[in-house]
Amino acid sequence: MNPVLDGWSIDGATAMHAWAIATAATVAAACALVGTLLVVRRMSLLGDALGHAVLPGIAVAVLAGGRPGSPFVFAAAVATGLLTVWLTRLVRSAGSLSDDAGTGVVFTTLFALGVVIVTAAASRVDLDPSCMLYGILELVPFDTVSIGDLEVPRGFISAAVVLGTLTTAAIATWKLQVFTAFDADAARAAGVPVAAVTGGLLAATALATVAGFEVVGAVLVVAMLVVPAAAAELLVRRLHHMVLVAVALAVVGTCLGYLAAWRWNASAAGMIAVVLGLEYVAAVVLAADDGLVARGLGRLRYAWRVLCEDRLAAVWRAEEKGTAATAPVSLVQRLAVGWLRLTGRFVGRAGGLALSSAGRREAEMVVRSHRLWEAWLGQHAQLPLDHLHPPAEWVEHHLGAAMRQRIEAEVGAAGDPHGSDIPPEA
Amino acid sequence: MSPTACLAAAPALTHNTLVVAAGVAAVGCAAGVVGSLSLLRKRPLIGDAAAHTTLVGVAAAFLLTGRRDLPTLLTGALVAAVAGLAALVLVRRFTRTRDDAATAIVIGVGFGLGIALLSGITARGLPGSAGLEQFLLGHTAALTVRDAVLLAVVSAVAVAVVLLGLKEATLVAFDADFAAATGWPVGLIDQVLVTLVAVMVVVGLPAAGAVLVTALVVIPPVAARQWTDRVPTLLVLGGTFGLVAAIVGVAVSAVVPRMPTGPLVVLAAATICIVSLLIAPRRGWLARRHQQVTLEPPPGMRRLR
Repeated sequence: MNPVLDGWSIDGATAMHAWAIATAATVAAACALVGTLLVVRRMSLLGDALGHAVLPGIAVAVLAGGRPGSPFVFAAAVATGLLTVWLTRLVRSAGSLSDDAGTGVVFTTLFALGVVIVTAAASRVDLDPSCMLYGILELVPFDTVSIGDLEVPRGFISAAVVLGTLTTAAIATWKLQVFTAFDADAARAAGVPVAAVTGGLLAATALATVAGFEVVGAVLVVAMLVVPAAAAELLVRRLHHMVLVAVALAVVGTCLGYLAAWRWNASAAGMIAVVLGLEYVAAVVLAADDGLVARGLGRLRYAWRVLCEDRLAAVWRAEEKGTAATAPVSLVQRLAVGWLRLTGRFVGRAGGLALSSAGRREAEMVVRSHRLWEAWLGQHAQLPLDHLHPPAEWVEHHLGAAMRQRIEAEVGAAGDPHGSDIPPEA
Repeated sequence: MSPTACLAAAPALTHNTLVVAAGVAAVGCAAGVVGSLSLLRKRPLIGDAAAHTTLVGVAAAFLLTGRRDLPTLLTGALVAAVAGLAALVLVRRFTRTRDDAATAIVIGVGFGLGIALLSGITARGLPGSAGLEQFLLGHTAALTVRDAVLLAVVSAVAVAVVLLGLKEATLVAFDADFAAATGWPVGLIDQVLVTLVAVMVVVGLPAAGAVLVTALVVIPPVAARQWTDRVPTLLVLGGTFGLVAAIVGVAVSAVVPRMPTGPLVVLAAATICIVSLLIAPRRGWLARRHQQVTLEPPPGMRRLR
């Protein structure tokens, strides 16, 4: 157990954990909400930069007498966040630098400044140097205020206020944000105050970052901002779906991460980031459209269709020539023949395969596609006769009825360049 | 104040302290040189993802070997840094996640895994686990002479590689399309550069820590860029600024108790950078202000592209 968690085996321990989870999940939801817009606007690294850069603001505000998590400290940190963006622009233009270089200079410098301030003052004030990096989620339930007869942690209240503010702001300005995110130039031309919309997003990022800073620390807040949103982007296509999925992933991941940290006695902030990462990996693998599994299955299905159609066409051609079809050679070809027999497209014994009427229709369409394509290539591509077969062997699996009709109309009565008949459309 | 005078101010100045300071200075210098190239290639933050995944390697190396000597831990860190970069490549190759989000994911999740492992090790109080957190923010006081020699040798090799491939790297940095068209293996040259940055990030860990080590490869080159439009001068200045920043950081952290080295090195580099942005001839703020007043066209405002 963590040193902190050790003392919890008394009554109310579960309530303590519940408050910690509720706080973390609230912060994660706020971060995922903002993070969605950051990800679609390609501003993900801004979240990383702000997470580092707000530290000196928080440190100075706490030194000046604010208590961590109070509105004063929040305001100071958000101001520092906006100052960071302004400083980055200043450094960038002063040094004629790229975006990355300016950001790299400013956020590392500010974070270093914050660490020095906190370390120098650690003995005097209520700021622990390590909480800059890990957050103090485990301590959140101990600092409470009474609301009615309920002891509510301050951290939860400020997280809930941040989430409420951001949700309200998001609902109020959603259309403007979406318009700006997808086409800033068109939005500007249409009279949208693009600078104000972007500034609002920056302020929202700073707010979410500060809320996250207390819970998971300076570095891991970027995981809460970006990872659920990036996973959601792989899972769904529409932006408002993406927000909802990102928030859901963030909340679930936070709860699981906290429980995993409890189980294996590790930093809650670290485990939450790890679980969010696993969710992203799961999205990469399982996404319905272009997840690895879906893409792999799609390729397999295609390879299988090609295999089956080639077997059908081989038997049809053998019948046409009056010879015996070449026997299936490889294992997969045998499997394909078995499948075609099972689905009623082949009849008869192995070795003496015959096409059923359904199989014949399918085979004729494959051969028809093949020979039409050879005819078209022969007329239009001026390829020698022996070069027509390979491309047709590939294209035969891809032509639909409408396309075959058009090609037939174009090649006219010329027929197959090798002299075979082209089967009519079914 | 000269570096030597700075060191002389430190208490308990021993042969050991001097050697360690020299090793860390070599790292700062090499990081400045390598960083100058990645600044020219317009990829200054390329090491950030690698830097944040190094913690996983440090923790895993300790868990697997039970040892905590610097070569073991840094080998683990290097493997993890390369794995982090590989993860970045895989995400780019197999998903439609964009580059910025991919980098942020590797930073966040890699660092989270590192923190989780480190906190797990600390909570279990494994023998010899004390001090692993020093890789978060940098701590040079515990380095031995052998460690310092290792850091210096790796740094020297990195600088040698840069010097050997300088012509090719410059060509790729200035016009990658032309380089590819004339038959240079642009991809390979870029990979070597990325590997060099990863190596510098790893040997920079004792000096600056995982969170801030990126600054070693970013800030000194940015400062150097203000003073010159020539690549060799840029490398020399970048290396010099990195060296000075590293020595100042080590010296100050030796004087101030409990202060991690990394932030001090970064602040020293940032001071050099701010001064450069203000007073550098032609590109500096003061010089440009003057030019605006006299309405003269800025003669030296050439941009490296």
